[in-house]
Amino acid sequence: MKVSHYTVHSPRTISEALNILKDGAARPIAGGTDVMVQIKDDLVKETELLNLSYIMDLNYIRDDGDFIRVGALTTYSDLIRSRLVNEYSPVLVEAARTVGAVQIQNRGTLAGNVGNASPAGDGLPPLFATGAKVKLQSEASEREVDIGDYFLGVRKTVRQPNELITEVSVRKMKPGDYYFFKKIGLRSANAISLVSVAAVLVPAEVLTFKEARIAMGAVAPTVIRAKSAEAAILNCQLTDEKMKEVGRLASEEAHPITDIRATAEYRKQAIAGAVYEGLYEIVNGFRSPVNGSSV
Amino acid sequence: MPEVEAVKLASEEILQQGYSYINRSYQRVDALDKVTGKIKFFSDMKIEGMLFARVFRSSVAHANIVTLDTTEAERLQGVRAVLTYKDVPGLNAYGAIIPDAPVLGYGKVRFYGEPLALVAADDQETAEKALGLIKAVYEPLPAVHSMDESLKPEAPKLHDRGNIARHALILKGDVDRAFKDAHLTLERTYRTQSQKHMFLEPEAGIAYTDELGNLNILAGGQNPYRDKMQVARSLNISPEKVRVINYPAGGAFGGKDDVTVQIHLALLATKTKRPVKLVWNREESGIGGFHRHPSLITLKTAVNDDGRLLANDSHIYLDTGAYQSFGPTVLDVTIEVINGPYLIPNIRIDANLVYTNNGISSAFRGFGGPQGNFAIESMMDEMAEEMKMDPIDFRLKNLAKSGDIGPFGNSMRNMEGIHEALSRLRNSPLWQLGKELPPKPWIRRGTGVAIAIKGVGFGTIPDYPTAAVELLPQGKIKVLFSNPDYGQGVNTGNAQIVAEALDLPMNEIEVVNADTQYSPDTGSSSASRGTFTSGNALLVACNKMLDRLRMEAALYLESTRDGIEYASGRFLIKGNESKSVSIYDLAKGLRAKGETLKFEGTFEVPRYPEPVKGTLEVPHVVYMYGAMVSSIELNTLTGYLDVKNVDLMADIGNVINPLLATTQCEGGIVQGLGFATSEELVYNQDEKPMNTNYTTYIVPSIADIPKMYVEFIKTYEQYGPYGAKGMAEIPIVPVGASIANALKQASGVRYYQLPLTPGRVLSKLHDQGQG
Repeated sequence: MKVSHYTVHSPRTISEALNILKDGAARPIAGGTDVMVQIKDDLVKETELLNLSYIMDLNYIRDDGDFIRVGALTTYSDLIRSRLVNEYSPVLVEAARTVGAVQIQNRGTLAGNVGNASPAGDGLPPLFATGAKVKLQSEASEREVDIGDYFLGVRKTVRQPNELITEVSVRKMKPGDYYFFKKIGLRSANAISLVSVAAVLVPAEVLTFKEARIAMGAVAPTVIRAKSAEAAILNCQLTDEKMKEVGRLASEEAHPITDIRATAEYRKQAIAGAVYEGLYEIVNGFRSPVNGSSV
Repeated sequence: MPEVEAVKLASEEILQQGYSYINRSYQRVDALDKVTGKIKFFSDMKIEGMLFARVFRSSVAHANIVTLDTTEAERLQGVRAVLTYKDVPGLNAYGAIIPDAPVLGYGKVRFYGEPLALVAADDQETAEKALGLIKAVYEPLPAVHSMDESLKPEAPKLHDRGNIARHALILKGDVDRAFKDAHLTLERTYRTQSQKHMFLEPEAGIAYTDELGNLNILAGGQNPYRDKMQVARSLNISPEKVRVINYPAGGAFGGKDDVTVQIHLALLATKTKRPVKLVWNREESGIGGFHRHPSLITLKTAVNDDGRLLANDSHIYLDTGAYQSFGPTVLDVTIEVINGPYLIPNIRIDANLVYTNNGISSAFRGFGGPQGNFAIESMMDEMAEEMKMDPIDFRLKNLAKSGDIGPFGNSMRNMEGIHEALSRLRNSPLWQLGKELPPKPWIRRGTGVAIAIKGVGFGTIPDYPTAAVELLPQGKIKVLFSNPDYGQGVNTGNAQIVAEALDLPMNEIEVVNADTQYSPDTGSSSASRGTFTSGNALLVACNKMLDRLRMEAALYLESTRDGIEYASGRFLIKGNESKSVSIYDLAKGLRAKGETLKFEGTFEVPRYPEPVKGTLEVPHVVYMYGAMVSSIELNTLTGYLDVKNVDLMADIGNVINPLLATTQCEGGIVQGLGFATSEELVYNQDEKPMNTNYTTYIVPSIADIPKMYVEFIKTYEQYGPYGAKGMAEIPIVPVGASIANALKQASGVRYYQLPLTPGRVLSKLHDQGQG
């Protein structure tokens, strides 16, 4: 199919957009980095496209207490350039830098990554690791959904056809929090993740942690938390043995598939390795914690 | 005086004076027009009234065709023609060496994506829709997925002759006796994969019949005269009626050496009497286009206690897919490189070209060289290691010297270049790289070496390239040859050669792009032969031109041929420089008398008179050489290989254009990096290629490219134009082995199969307890 086969709506305001969406016949499109590919492959079932590009009110990054509010038109490049996001969600910036390549980062949006609901979306694990909320608006209603409740499966979410993702709120990390993001792809850029993992570790004392959130991408139908791995980190010395065990636990929680890019077995081995790498880097001084004091 | 000698003398004469245009880094002659978009690729071209073509392809890999029903497609509004095998007036087959592939399939289908019908319609969408209305009914046959399967006695036969398309057995000395006396014998099996060319512009072209009734084919290709012949043969028309234009092409790398769209376009344009455009989409290029031959090579190799090679027994299998295309000569190149440039007294080569239902393998940069090189250079590394010798010392010790007799009874020439290249690599910072431990314990560093040999041109196959120069009185030299410039820069190199030969500035040299209407038959751009063949032919033509002008100038200057001399576009009386005449003025005078100053030159490519039995073209007289060191960082947790540096020291003869030669070497290294680490065409159970686009078929990105260092050893090839050999293929040949050898050093694990994907690397690391 081609874009010319679709009726394309290009509203200027959110309320116009919600009105167009009210009968649920239109597919929202922002950067188009996923939707355009799906159109070419004949995977977009809707007959209309809701082009969000002209809704200037959707392009923002706002400081709001414990959250950074990210509008639905905000691109990865915007996030990478944002001082606020660099200070308070460096794990999201680290992930954003691995998305596709610069051209994709210039077009692709964080909200679009959420909307597309691919388990391999590189922007998603940081949202799970930090605790984000997705704002869904329709003509009649507005709600915020925890990121952990948002995804139902591959390309399946709680969003109703008449709802639009207007904002993703990213919970700020705290000064002193450690983090890492790892992506394993088949090349250094323009690669779809074989596996990815984001982690946020909240320190108790020097290099012991009272809170840990590890989110893994491309190992299940949705991004998933590695709960037993998280639990194993808490309130103990992260010895080399311990870090390997955490990696192994994460791997046991992963249920990846075999596809053309990699086998399930490889993905399990790689996620164990990636988790170990990240922890090792934290423990051995390769990574600095969040330093929010300069803002 | 034979023309070869004339070339040699002319070259050396000028060498002594120092060059004005050779060994200079000119920008590509078409660079500005390409970056400004002035040059239109055929995929982007529109001709008034043109139709859009699509190819109906088989959706099974191996089957008898029961029926092929095109009636509904023919009835569709806007469809102008639907053609099947019944509409091929001449030979319904193509193939560069042996025409065994149907132009349009009949009877039997042998690969997924085999062309069965052609559609031309008013627009692309109608053509597409018509494809959906064509109904093929098949009687499925069991498919042959691999060479291992194909070689089994009970395997389904793809062709009447069986599943071995070609076999050669070459013997020298007595390998079996040598193994008995050997200090150490190793036997190893190596496998390489199917690699796609992944040119940015897929196979594409336009065809139309002009007012004179001539069929014009404009398509990215590598050999306009062979295209012309194959088109004429299938249309059953005189080649005189066919004109082929091959420039510009958005990349080729061997994948456009045999015909792709040309005959299909010709059939449709002839049938509809309208211009027709055919552009394969990316998936179609992946399924219907050519790819590199997968290889399965077993080497049994022996050394004495001093580390001298005694014997090399090789069993070579190349998967040519459903048809032969360039398979026979690709097999020849693997045969030719399987003993490297080493002196080995006892040799056996048992080489086989095998049919499977895996598409069609054909020419791809290196042409069988990277496959054979991966085997022999992995073996050399392992042998050195077993003998506790430095891998460079081991190679230097066994490298043939000039005057040695090679594996095919050939005399090894100009071996000083590769000796020097390898010696210098030993001193390179990369090879000397300290063994300091990387900061992260899961990262392991390694450095690997490999050397390469690859022939220039067609070996023993007679090759008489012809090129021409024409002097235009308005102050330009037209340069005509048929090796297409598909991006490699042959147009620029040849402009420099003509500028040097005629001692004229580059802006007076005008290269005409490959076009059978104007360009003489110089043969293909392939086998690293472009500059070597057309450059030499142009030198002959330039000498003829100067010879003719000298006579005219002697008359004009009231002197004799010996009394005058030539410099920078003017003839002068020796010792009296005030009396002179410009070549353009001479041309004006001759033009007034009806004489056109166009001269053709033909070069006889030096060759051995007969090929080695069982081959078509082994050996060559002129070889390129390369020595490569790669350094890598391996992540033992993920199996990810980060290739950090690649150094190449190459002997390509005298270098016409260092900038273009260097960038072409870099391109070859990157294409080799993909071959070594990530690129592999994968088939599903139905033999359908699964990863045909850039998302799933992993070509290295700019972020994967290592730091590259390319240096050319200063050598002079006496048969080459101004001492040049060829160069396009040599950089890709040693990449796989040098990276695999580096990986061995880094991990302690030796890999015998490419590509070295993270999954393959990690799995073996775990198996060997190194993960």
